[in-house]
Amino acid sequence: MTHKLQGNVHESNLFQSKTTIWWITFSLLYGATFLTRYYKVLEPDHVCWDETHFGKMASWYINRTFFFDVHPPLGKMLIALSGKLSGYDGTFPFEKPGDKYDGARYQGMRLFCTTLGALVIPLTFLSIWEMTKSLEATFIGTLLLLCDVGFMTLNRYILLDPILLFFMSCSIYGCFKVSTLTNDGLLPFSPRMLSWQIFLGTSLACTMSVKFVGLFVVLFVGLRTVADLWNILGDLSKPVKFTITHLIVRTLTLIVWPFVLYVFFFWIHLTVLSKSGNGDGFYSSGFQARLEGNSLHNASAPRVLAYGALVTLKNHRTGGGYLHSHHHLYPAGVGARQQQITTYTHKDENNRWQIKPYNRERVEGTVVVRSGDLVRVTHAPTGRNLHSHRERAPLTAKHLQVTGYGEDGVGDANDVWKIVISGGKDGEEIQTVRSKLMLVHYLQACVLTTTGKQLPKWGYEQQEVSCNPNLRDKNALWNIEDNVFDDLPKVSFESYASGFLERFYESHAVMFQGNSGLKPKEGEVTSQPWQWPINYRGQFFSGSTHRIYLLGNPVVWWTNLAFLIIFFLVYIINSIKEKRAEAFGVSRQVGEGSLLLNAAGWTFIGWALHYIPFWAMGRVLYFHHYFPALVFSSMLTGILTEYLLSSVRSYLSPELGKTAYHCIIGVVISTTVYSFYLFSPLAYGMSGPLASEPNSTMAGLKWLESWEF
Amino acid sequence: MLMNEMNHSPSRIYLQLEIDVIAIGLLILALCTRLYKLDEPRHIVFDELHYGRYVSLYTKGVFFFDAHPPLGKQLLYLAGSIAGYDGNFTFDRIGTPYTDNVPVKALRLVPAVSGSFLVLITYFLMLELSLHQWTAILAALLVLLENCFLAQSRFMLLESIQILFGLCGVYCIIKSTKRIGLTALVWLCAAAVLLGCCFSVKYSGLYTYYLSLFLVGRHIWLQLNQIKSGTRLLFSALWRFAVLLIIPLAVYVSVFYMHLSMLPKAGPHDSVMTSAFQASLQGGLASITHGQPLHVAHGSQITLRHTHGRTCWLHSHAHVYPVRYADGRGSSHQQQVTCYSFKDVNNWWIVKRPDQASLAVSRPPDAIRHGDIVQLLHGITSRALNSHDVAAAVSPQSQEVSCYIDYNVSMPAQNLWRVDIVNRDSEESTWDSIRSLVRLVHVDTGSGLRYSGRQLPAWGFHQHEIVADKVLSHQDTIWNVEEHRYTKADDRKERERELVTAEMIPTAVTQLTFWEKFTELQYKMIAHAPDAPHGHMFASEPAEWPLLVRSIAYWLSPDSNAQIHLIGNIVTWYTGTISVIVYSALLAIYSVRKRRACEDLPPFVLNKFYETGYTLFLGYWLHYLPYFFIDRTLFLHHYLPAYIFKILLLAYIVDHIYLVLQLHEKTRHVTNLFILCVTIWLSYIVLTFKKFSVLNYGNVDLKENDLMSLRWKDTWDFILHKKI
Repeated sequence: MTHKLQGNVHESNLFQSKTTIWWITFSLLYGATFLTRYYKVLEPDHVCWDETHFGKMASWYINRTFFFDVHPPLGKMLIALSGKLSGYDGTFPFEKPGDKYDGARYQGMRLFCTTLGALVIPLTFLSIWEMTKSLEATFIGTLLLLCDVGFMTLNRYILLDPILLFFMSCSIYGCFKVSTLTNDGLLPFSPRMLSWQIFLGTSLACTMSVKFVGLFVVLFVGLRTVADLWNILGDLSKPVKFTITHLIVRTLTLIVWPFVLYVFFFWIHLTVLSKSGNGDGFYSSGFQARLEGNSLHNASAPRVLAYGALVTLKNHRTGGGYLHSHHHLYPAGVGARQQQITTYTHKDENNRWQIKPYNRERVEGTVVVRSGDLVRVTHAPTGRNLHSHRERAPLTAKHLQVTGYGEDGVGDANDVWKIVISGGKDGEEIQTVRSKLMLVHYLQACVLTTTGKQLPKWGYEQQEVSCNPNLRDKNALWNIEDNVFDDLPKVSFESYASGFLERFYESHAVMFQGNSGLKPKEGEVTSQPWQWPINYRGQFFSGSTHRIYLLGNPVVWWTNLAFLIIFFLVYIINSIKEKRAEAFGVSRQVGEGSLLLNAAGWTFIGWALHYIPFWAMGRVLYFHHYFPALVFSSMLTGILTEYLLSSVRSYLSPELGKTAYHCIIGVVISTTVYSFYLFSPLAYGMSGPLASEPNSTMAGLKWLESWEF
Repeated sequence: MLMNEMNHSPSRIYLQLEIDVIAIGLLILALCTRLYKLDEPRHIVFDELHYGRYVSLYTKGVFFFDAHPPLGKQLLYLAGSIAGYDGNFTFDRIGTPYTDNVPVKALRLVPAVSGSFLVLITYFLMLELSLHQWTAILAALLVLLENCFLAQSRFMLLESIQILFGLCGVYCIIKSTKRIGLTALVWLCAAAVLLGCCFSVKYSGLYTYYLSLFLVGRHIWLQLNQIKSGTRLLFSALWRFAVLLIIPLAVYVSVFYMHLSMLPKAGPHDSVMTSAFQASLQGGLASITHGQPLHVAHGSQITLRHTHGRTCWLHSHAHVYPVRYADGRGSSHQQQVTCYSFKDVNNWWIVKRPDQASLAVSRPPDAIRHGDIVQLLHGITSRALNSHDVAAAVSPQSQEVSCYIDYNVSMPAQNLWRVDIVNRDSEESTWDSIRSLVRLVHVDTGSGLRYSGRQLPAWGFHQHEIVADKVLSHQDTIWNVEEHRYTKADDRKERERELVTAEMIPTAVTQLTFWEKFTELQYKMIAHAPDAPHGHMFASEPAEWPLLVRSIAYWLSPDSNAQIHLIGNIVTWYTGTISVIVYSALLAIYSVRKRRACEDLPPFVLNKFYETGYTLFLGYWLHYLPYFFIDRTLFLHHYLPAYIFKILLLAYIVDHIYLVLQLHEKTRHVTNLFILCVTIWLSYIVLTFKKFSVLNYGNVDLKENDLMSLRWKDTWDFILHKKI
């Protein structure tokens, strides 16, 4: 009796001391994080790197003017919110990196981003703990991330990355928490399980709504969830119904709920940005009708198009302009010397065209234009007809030239166009704004289109209009925007304005097009994925007297790289060993390290998911795209260090093993911390000569020729 | 005793004949369809334009550059040269009629025969996957009756050759995994050769190679718990991978060796290559540079070529940078320096040592060495190449480079450049024309002369911008001297006589080894991805392929509406797509059932299901998925290598369903129904094949009604001559 009691006391003492150590470690790292992150956080007091973009966007949110960006809105809205709450009034122009803030209240926004960025470290701590329940692995993994100078630099400015990384870390933590709870056998509807799943779903939605790379963490969580469900399914003591309940609950919390949230964030975005701004031109007429201050807002026009109406024609491609002509001819050598036809993004008297039947000048009364009609389109200010003929277009060799021809509406047979509603039937009425029109040249059987290429000086750098023999051209769609005709009743544009879902859909189409349009130009130096893990080249955040250079701590990065390779080897050797054991009839042993190795496997998958897809991307890539993968890679290093050390320890005598173990841990910690100290000027600001010169403070630290500090 | 008796019995000669009648029958059918009126139409059809042109160039031995590996073109050339083609036909555009000197039939014979054997190899491959003979026949028939393979086999196109090599390779791999010892080795070597050929025809053949690597790897993995001896295991793994890595690579390299030795002459298509490469070709740059001095010296007149990437030469002309750019920034207003893509008298520069006044080359020439500091004078305007702390016109992050004009505005000349020879042997290396790759480093700022890749606006005549950039390691900072002569000073005649006796380029200098040429060619092939025109009328997206959204028009007769299209047999095509879905669904169901420890199927059926899946299902995705990540204009014919795996999978699925139905007593009559369904389905395939074969042979004038009746999807575009 007493013996048993003593044992219990001993155990609970041990447990207590373990918890105490845990809390001490946690708070130590927590404190160190905030110390390093907040130190000199407000320096430099000028615009650094991409702050110029996100600061600008925050101002636009505060002023509620509409703009266009390739990223989803949540991150920028949070920045704007923090700015608003901390007294920033949205007037600072954020024109270019290096501009002094001069009293603009940027502090709130920067502190907000820094705080979120700092929270990534404790969250990583919790995630590794959740996976491994090994304090050593947790400590090393977190310390590596804490001591990475690059990670710190990226997380201290008004950027989307700290916000993205924060939500991503929340997702990772939530995902492993849910997975532990599942293994503990919690019921799907138990409040604890549900609340963690909702937390996970919310984090996923937030990650996706900051940047689309959040998709990778969604994939990661998806894989993890499938693995969990697979484990549940394998438990033959539970009925299949149990698995199905789990599946349903997870579908609701991890797919439906995040999607609702995602849409909700867009709803806020579109509701807040209610005023016309510089992003209008990227969107359709229906979209613009919603924006206060836009000429389409509260305007009214006839519902259908009638012969004789004065109209403007807007191209349907993203950022497409209005069909335009002016009193200038194509220069000699560029097709026929007739009047230029272009598209122009600004609103102007020269965008007005008149629709006439192909054979008469005038129509008595009100005759509505229908799909399939043959028409002539006359440029109202100059009286020339829209015309095309067998001459090559100025820039696109395979297309035909489009010109303005004739005088006062009298031209020739090449002025006849067939007006067709795309996807509609012949005889349908043509409606203002709503109908997507194609103008097919009657004789040449080509379709009026804009190629989006800029004309040279002679064309005032407006965009080329041509006639494409390929009728499947996606840019050949136009819609009528202004429609002036007095004999028809006017309808308010309000009725054409897109509903929320249409606008939600359109914003995505425009964003994806914008993203795929970010192509590197010929000869431009862009960052390549292979350079990232080896820390090949950084990125200047701030120049001149207070230089800040985004570059990983080489000690951390190269260790991470080595451990990725080591993991690969360890994993292969382990699998072969297992398989070999079967040949001798030995059943599979579940070793002590299998929990660690399993955790390492998951972090490896996470790293691969956040890194490998970049190889297949055609768009412009930047160094900072690697940082989400770095989080996983650091976790992997921590876990694998512990795994290897305990394997080594098991070969040595207990005494020697303990000594060796502690020595190595000590070396790892001191090296990491010292390297942080060495490279910290990269983040806190350098001045004086460049590191390539001997009298620099950073002399001797330029370990790679390609580093530019 | 018995053995002895047998040995003593008089030996007789046996001719044991075993004929697989079905295989022969299939081959004959395939040859009939593929070879029927092979030389019609006698016009250039689709990509015959390119491949035919390459055959002509092979015949003449003129070098050309193409982003695809050469084996397929070499095979076409072989057929052409046997038939006596003289190479005198200009492949100018699709639809041009062939003249009599072009052996159309012979040139088209290689793909056509390959396409016929494709039918045969599917039959054997399915048998090798230990499937029912009926299944193998079904698979072969599906390939036989597939319009897209018919169309692709009948013209000078490479897909059928590539697919044939690939499938034969896979067949040999499977054979080798089933055998042991020497037989296995022989089969594996055969597979390795075939796979090497496969990706020497087209790089997409690499996917087949990866599939084979996977199959062999899996075979070794399965042996891990079978064989007890560790050494034997290691040995078996080692030789397999050694064979599979070395032989294909050797095939690939030797194909290129033949390629380069078949094309010794320079031609209009070698401008992509570096000066050194061009100079190694007969009659190319060599004829220009022949006899020019080797060492660049004080007083040398040179042209400087941008070595990597775009071909252009350092250039200047008597125009200045505009005072203000469009964005409001100012310039130095000095003479423009650009990179110009054409040979021009303004590309000449004179190398000068800063401390010497006379431009004449001394005797012996005062050679420039690595690390020397020089000035570069522009030949026509005599102004010195200069750079300073002014932002460049289009790339403001770099320094402007100009030819210095002294405006007397306290902006001193900074015209010293250090010669940094990248590929030097020693620190004392001389600067040699053509051979040396140099970086010109601006002495005052440490920046390197660099081609920025951007074009100047109209004021710079749209030539390319030259800047001085702080980052020296970029390959755009590398230049080489292409044309070179020594300045003949005042007393011209005398100097000329001296020049004649000066050291000339020995012809050996421009002899590149095969490996140098090979690596350069490989590099250029990767760097110069073909710039296919975007928005091609018949281009398609990978996501559209499984539903056959688009076809490709190959040819239209000039005087009737007879035409040729690449279009699939839509019945096979759609059932194929369904079979992929069915396989995935079954895979999921079987796995879940197994996880719940339910055994519905006997192990041999299930094992075969997984086994076939590893080859066919994986093969399909391996050949299909990568295209989603390729940023190029893609066409339907890129799908064909994946599609053939899909057809095999389809045949397997039919087999599998039949097997499962047979397992149970209750479903006997359903089995009969199933067989009936398959028969009906097959006859539909035959009918569709026959209906659409007019678009493969292109020998029937189609009326508007006929075309409309063929237009089963409104996304298919057929062509009609306009009625006049």
